[in-house]
Amino acid sequence: MSTTSEPSAEAQTYRLVVAEDAYLIREGIRSALERDDQEVEVLEYCADLGSLLRAVEEYRPDVVITDIRMPPTGTDEGIAAAATLRETNPEIGVVVISQYVSPHYALRLFEQGSAGRAYLLKERVGHRIQLLEAIREVASGGSVVDPKVVDVLVEARMRVKNSPLTQLSSREREVLAGVAAGKSNATIAESLFLTKRAVEKNINSIFAKLDLTRDNTVSRRVRAALLFLAESDAEAR
Amino acid sequence: MFNFAVKPVPGLDSLEIEGPRDPAFGTPLRRFDLAVAAAAVAGCCAAVAIIATGGVVAEPTAFAAVLVANAVTLTLGGLLWRHGRPSSSFGYLLLAVAALSLVSALAGSAVPALYLIGLLAGWGFALGATWLLVSFPGIRPKGAAWVVMWSAFLTFLVGGLPRLLVSSPAPSHSIIGRCAGSCPANAILVADAPAVAAAFRHVEGALESIWGIGLLVFLAVELARASYPRRRLLAPVFAASIPFVSVFAVNALVSDELGHVWGAWARAVVAGTRILFPLGFIAALLFARVYAGEALGLMASRLMGRPSIAAVEQLVRRVLDDPRARLAFWLPRSALYVDRHGTEVILDETAKGKSWRAFGEGDTRVLAIVHDEVLADDPELLDAVGATTLLALENRRLEQDLLDSFDVLHASQRRLVAAASSERRKIERDLHDGVQQKLVALRIHLELALEAAGGESAMGERLARLGVEFDEALDELRAVAHGIYPPLLAEGGLAPALQEAAHRSTVPLALELGDDVGRLSEDCEVAIYYSCLEALQNVAKHAGEGAAASLRLWRDPRSVRFSVTDDGAGFVPRSEGRGAGLTNMSDRLGAVGGRLVVRSAPGEGTTIEGRVDTANGNGSGDVHNL
Repeated sequence: MSTTSEPSAEAQTYRLVVAEDAYLIREGIRSALERDDQEVEVLEYCADLGSLLRAVEEYRPDVVITDIRMPPTGTDEGIAAAATLRETNPEIGVVVISQYVSPHYALRLFEQGSAGRAYLLKERVGHRIQLLEAIREVASGGSVVDPKVVDVLVEARMRVKNSPLTQLSSREREVLAGVAAGKSNATIAESLFLTKRAVEKNINSIFAKLDLTRDNTVSRRVRAALLFLAESDAEAR
Repeated sequence: MFNFAVKPVPGLDSLEIEGPRDPAFGTPLRRFDLAVAAAAVAGCCAAVAIIATGGVVAEPTAFAAVLVANAVTLTLGGLLWRHGRPSSSFGYLLLAVAALSLVSALAGSAVPALYLIGLLAGWGFALGATWLLVSFPGIRPKGAAWVVMWSAFLTFLVGGLPRLLVSSPAPSHSIIGRCAGSCPANAILVADAPAVAAAFRHVEGALESIWGIGLLVFLAVELARASYPRRRLLAPVFAASIPFVSVFAVNALVSDELGHVWGAWARAVVAGTRILFPLGFIAALLFARVYAGEALGLMASRLMGRPSIAAVEQLVRRVLDDPRARLAFWLPRSALYVDRHGTEVILDETAKGKSWRAFGEGDTRVLAIVHDEVLADDPELLDAVGATTLLALENRRLEQDLLDSFDVLHASQRRLVAAASSERRKIERDLHDGVQQKLVALRIHLELALEAAGGESAMGERLARLGVEFDEALDELRAVAHGIYPPLLAEGGLAPALQEAAHRSTVPLALELGDDVGRLSEDCEVAIYYSCLEALQNVAKHAGEGAAASLRLWRDPRSVRFSVTDDGAGFVPRSEGRGAGLTNMSDRLGAVGGRLVVRSAPGEGTTIEGRVDTANGNGSGDVHNL
């Protein structure tokens, strides 16, 4: 889906609601997003879960950018907001920005489905292009996972005894990480200096070796890859 | 719960019992006892001598034997009662009757005045024996008992005494003490009138029948009506005395000429039953002690099972055979007795038909048993039951003290650990919301500056390098903050926190998390989490190259358990001088009432197993205070 929707997304102005309780970060987001290029329009900045949900009701934005830890409880409001919106406004994309590298939150975010969800570390926010890419992806139903989070998963998975990951070549592991991060084949090809054809070959080989169901929809294969990587915990059961 | 305010009781030796009576088993032999015994021996010798030398009695051997036997058993009984029931006058009554028995030996003397005294003492003995039976065991006679007593008095007052005044010579002492020929002269003869004497003999006989039959009926009814503990006491006395009383009553009915129509065999029966009857008083006391001993044994064996207070009370009721007996516990601070439900018990206002007995150490009151008043007849039993109950309570109290002191220690340990973990959590939050937040914001602005400078420019390159270093600093800070307190633990509990720990583990790790672990109290989760982490660090440090580990977390009905097993080098576990890691783990778990077991041997890997009971408030459902 993301691959097909990309061309049409270029011209669109994304309407956003941002939820972040820390002033400094909020200002950072503001500097990153509010430019003259009309690519995004921030409708409202919220500082807690309640005002975020109210703003969503009011503006019906294309994308919500939200922190995880916010008032009222300061635990996992961002994840909860994403889950609520999955029910009430499935068309709205959600970019969760977090200070946690922990895959736990990313996995929880993708629990109810990965379509239209992104998990980014907060420091990515300054990287305007990465942030805009994530916004574009979720707005069109795609998925993004911060590469650092994927790294943690891959490393953990590699340490498991007899891990199927050891059957993969290092190139294949890099491709898998790209898949898990929600990158399209083209993006993976670009970042790894491969041809799109080579990436596809690698992906076929990976999915065969790991015995995963082949699915060309990026958001679904992100989830499959993430779940596979996270499975290390369940394996001993 | 009821709070037992029980003071220590070092042992039975210092046991003092307050109440309507005193206890005192095993009072040492005193001078009084020796004096009584000496007097009895002297009296017996004198009695035998008088009877043997007097030549008055037809069968001196039998007469002396009966009197001496009565005197000896009654004296022995008297002394035993005096020791066993010091507060009861019954022992002295027995001694008095014993004395009368000996004095009546004077009826063996030919001297008229002495003979008269012996005769009167014989009457006194009969009255005394009757009194013993109707007042046993020391209860003031009432109703039917007084009918019996009065008929006994009247037998002598309006029958025996008038007849004596008009009889010459004096009448015989008794069937067994009848005179060989004619009896000695009557020392208080008013007028010799055989016809009048015969008339009074009829009055005497009639009253004597009422006396004897009345006593029989009284004893039978008394035995039938008695409560179980009282019957236990009465039975031996009545069994021993009923033959004698029966012979007496029959004699009064069938004989006009007292004893003279009876043959030698009948006299032997009279002598035998009379010798027998005082033995009942001794038997009763011994039986009471045997029963008390049995009760003590029963109670002691039942109390070994550490029964509840309700069960102790049930046991007391059963042993006392008093279904409404109650235990009352002394509360020193409130200075009142309460029952096991905490309701005040006012002992001095106990209901009609109830009595009580208190037990304690020295002046310290501890416990009272409120019981049916007939149990007052069986103080041996009450004392045994009271003392045993007291010891049982004392055991409970000592154990409770021990547990309390553990609890105090444990609570402070728990507070310390809780304080430490809440402090850690605070630091993590401060880091997350403060420094980390600022660094992230700076990182964002750095990136924005980089964008503005353009990646290709010299400034852009410098900023890009700075960004990389910045990221490293952020990662390190993240790791530190996480190490201080994993936010996932507070938020999601053990399962996600341990899953995450597994992601960070440097050792290959298989994770097995039970689905049913759920949430525990915060202290408990922190203790288990850090114990697992510590164990994993131990594996990384000590298990050696290529070792793999598995971490299991599961729940059983009573506890949450975890185990960390590796296939590494192993070691020889020692209880002392073990590493700081193991000590830490064991301290952490100990603070929440948990335990740690380490199993290892060189070359066979190591298993560290921990468990925390969920029964005592560590369980799930505790809301986390965030």
